[in-house]
Amino acid sequence: MAGPPKTRRDNVAVDNSLCRRCQTNAPTITVRTEPLCSACFNKYVSTKIIKRMESFRVRHAEVGQERLLLLPLSLRACSIVLLHILSQHLRVQGEKSGRTGYRLHVLYVEDGKGEASEASKLYELIQHRYPEHTYSTRPLSDALALPGMQELLIQNQPAATIPLDLSTILTTLTSATSRTDLHHHLLRKLVLHSAQSHTCSAILWASSTTRLAERTLAETAKGRAFALPAQTRDGEAQLGTGTAFYYPMRDLLRKEVLSYTSLVSPDLEELILDERPRPAVSTRDTSIDELMRQYFSSVEREYPSIVANVVRTTGKLLVERVEEGWLEGRCELCDVGLRGRAPERSRLCFGCIRVLQTREAGG
Amino acid sequence: MPPHPCETCHTSRAQILRPSTGTRLCAPCFTLAFETETAATITSSQLFHPGERIAIGASGGKDSTVLASVLQTLNARYAWGLELVLLSIDEGIAGYRDHSLEAVKRNAEVLGLPLKILGYEELYGWSMDEVVAQVVRKGNCTYCGVFRRQALDRGAAALGVRHVVTGHNADDVAETVVMNLLRGDLARLGRGTSLVTGTGGLEGGFASVKRSKPLMWAYEKEIVMYAHHMRLDYFSTECIYSPEAFRGSARTLIKNLERIRPESILDVVRSGIDMARLVPGAGGEGGSRSRRVEAMSRDVEDDTGGGCSGGNGEDAGGEMARVEETLRLNERADEEGTETEIRLPAKATNGQRHDRDVVHTGPAGKVLSPTVNGQNHDRHRHTSNNATVPHRTKQEKKPNCKAASDAAPPRQRLGQCERCGYLSSQAVCKACMLLEGLNKARPRTGIEVGGAGG
Repeated sequence: MAGPPKTRRDNVAVDNSLCRRCQTNAPTITVRTEPLCSACFNKYVSTKIIKRMESFRVRHAEVGQERLLLLPLSLRACSIVLLHILSQHLRVQGEKSGRTGYRLHVLYVEDGKGEASEASKLYELIQHRYPEHTYSTRPLSDALALPGMQELLIQNQPAATIPLDLSTILTTLTSATSRTDLHHHLLRKLVLHSAQSHTCSAILWASSTTRLAERTLAETAKGRAFALPAQTRDGEAQLGTGTAFYYPMRDLLRKEVLSYTSLVSPDLEELILDERPRPAVSTRDTSIDELMRQYFSSVEREYPSIVANVVRTTGKLLVERVEEGWLEGRCELCDVGLRGRAPERSRLCFGCIRVLQTREAGG
Repeated sequence: MPPHPCETCHTSRAQILRPSTGTRLCAPCFTLAFETETAATITSSQLFHPGERIAIGASGGKDSTVLASVLQTLNARYAWGLELVLLSIDEGIAGYRDHSLEAVKRNAEVLGLPLKILGYEELYGWSMDEVVAQVVRKGNCTYCGVFRRQALDRGAAALGVRHVVTGHNADDVAETVVMNLLRGDLARLGRGTSLVTGTGGLEGGFASVKRSKPLMWAYEKEIVMYAHHMRLDYFSTECIYSPEAFRGSARTLIKNLERIRPESILDVVRSGIDMARLVPGAGGEGGSRSRRVEAMSRDVEDDTGGGCSGGNGEDAGGEMARVEETLRLNERADEEGTETEIRLPAKATNGQRHDRDVVHTGPAGKVLSPTVNGQNHDRHRHTSNNATVPHRTKQEKKPNCKAASDAAPPRQRLGQCERCGYLSSQAVCKACMLLEGLNKARPRTGIEVGGAGG
C-alpha cells in the first residue's frame, strides 16, 4: 500500500509499503497480518525455534560432553527446516564461543511407503549438505522387533504366524484411522529406542503448531486426550527412559514453515520429499488424523492464532501422574495410564484395543 | 436394508441400525435399550434420590421431549418415586415460542405431568417484546441470553425444586469440548463435561439449584429415532439465528467425525472428561478415574438454553475473528516483550461475559493484571486496524513473561449477587444490572395487575 506515512498518536509513522519490522526492505510475505521482508521473516522463523532451545545453550553444556540430541527426519518440510536452522545455530554457537551446546544425530526412518528411491536420493543430498552431524537409518519394521511387540500384535491375527511383518498387519486393520495410529505409535517407539541406543538425551520432533493442534483434536476424538500433555510438552521425559521430547517448531504454523523453504537462500525445496496429493474432501475412508489436517489447514488460513491457542491450551493441562516406575500400569502401545481405561488385566487401553482390531475380529 | 433378524430378540425383523453400536434391532428392542442405557447413566451416578422433585427443562424440542418421556417411563418401571414436573420458559416473543409451547402443553397432557410455564414478564417484569421495544434491537440478544440462563433456576426455585434436568445430548457435549479447545477456555472445558453441576443445597438460594443432563451419553441421532418410534410430539426449536461461530465450526467437525467413526462422539466426551481432570485447580489432578460424579460449581454462563445462540448479541462470523484478533495482539506483545503503545479504553462490549471470555482466551497472566512485569498493558481491545509500530525500547525481554503467561488460568471467584442472590462473579449479577438499566430508562406505565403471582 503506497501512500504518505500515517502518523499515529505515538508519533511513529508506519509505512505499510515496507517490511513492518525493519522498515527498510519491501515485504515479501505477510505473517499473521504483518508484512515482512525475507530477511526479517527468516529471522522470525529462526528466532521462534532457537527460543525453544534454551536448555541447550553453550553455557549449559560441559566441554566435550555436549548432549546428543536425536532429530527424526521425515524428509518433509518441517524436519528439513529444523535441521537447517539448528545447523545454522550450531555454527553460530561455534563461532561465538568455540564450542557448541549440543550435538545432533539425525535419524531417518524408512517407512516403506513407496518412493523409496527418491527418498534415499534426498537423504544422501542432505548428508552432503549438512555433514557436521551423525546420521543413521532404520526401517520402520524394526519396531516390530522391539521387546513385546510381536506378542502384542499377534493377539488379533489368528491366522498369522510369528514373525509378523508390517504390511500384513497394516492390511488387516479395519480403518485408515487404525493404520495411521499404529504407524504413529510404531514410529514413536522406534525413535525412542534409537535415541537410547545412541545415548541421546532428548528427541527433537519437528511438529509445527498446526501439526500439534491436529494431534490434539485427533487424540481427543479417539478418546486419548489425557495422554496429550505428557507427550507434547517440552522436556517431558518419556516413560521409563529418561529421554525427553522437545518440539522446537511448536510456535510456527505449517504454512510459515513452507514459506520459509522457498524464501531462505539457498532454498530448501530440493531437499523435500514430494507429498502425495491429499484428498480434498473427507470420505468414510479418511482417517481421523487426515480429517483434522483438512480442518486445521482451513482454520490456519484465517485464524492462525486460534490454531496456536489450541496447542497452548493443552500445554496448560497437567501431566497425568501414574505411579513412577510402575510399568505394569501403562498401555503397551500408547504408554498411557491403564487404570480406568482398560479392561481387567489387559495390557492395552480401550483406544488401542480398538486400533488393533482386525477385519476378522469384526471391528 | 435386506431383512435381518433383530440382534437382541432374534425374532422380529430389524428395522434400525443403531449409530452408537452398529447393531441391528427391531424398534421395541431399540427403545428398550435406549431407556435402559439412560437408566444406567442415572443409577450409576446416583443422580436422583427416591422421592426427589425434579423439574424437566422443557423447550418443546426433541431432546427435552424425549427426556420427559423416558424419565416418566423409567420412574414407573423402576419405582423411583420421583416427582416430575415440566418447566418451560416463555421469552415473550410473539410468534416464536408459541408453537413449541403448544407442543409442551400437549406433552404434559399425554404424559400426565404438571406443567409450569414461566414468562420473562413474570420473572423479570419484562417480556422480550417489551425489552426490544425499549432498547430497539441494540443488544437485545444479550438480554434474552442472560435472562434465559437464570430463568430455569428461578423457575425451579418458584416451584420449590432443587434439581433441574435438561436434554443435552452427547453431540452437544462433544461440540462443547471442541469449542472450548478452539477457544482455549480451560475453565469451561473443566465444567462442560460434567454430568451434574451445582449442589442442590440451600446455601445459595436459587443459585445452587442442581442441574444435570441424563441424556449426556445419548446420540442425537438416536434421540431422533426414539422420538420417531415412540411417536412423540415435538417442535424443532432451531430458530433463525446463525449458530455461534465456534459452535458452528465445532458442529461441522463433529458431524464429519461421526461419518468416519460414529463412536468418536463418545470418545470426544470421554476425552473431555479426562481433560477436565487435568485442568489445573480442578482438584482432580492425576487421580484414578472414578465413577463418582463431581458436583462442580456452576458458572452462570455455562448453561445455554435452547433457541437463541447465547446472548453475545454479535454476529456469528465476528466471534472467531474477534478472538483471533485478541490472541494475535497478545502474541505479538508477548514476543516483543516491550511496551506497546496501543492503549485502548477497556471497552466493555457485552459486560462480564465478554470480559471473562477474554480472560480465558489470552494468556492468563497478562489479561488479569494490569501490570505485567512492570509494564502496563491494557488488553481489552475491541477496535482493530490500529497498525501501530510497537516501540522497541531498550528494555530487555523479561524472562518472566512466558512463565506468567503459562500459568494456570485464574480461578473464578463465584459469589452472590447483592440484589437477588444469584451466583455471580460480580457484586451485582448481569440480569439485575440489565434490569436496572431497563427500569431506569422508562418507568413502567400501565396498570399492574395486583400481586403478581406465579
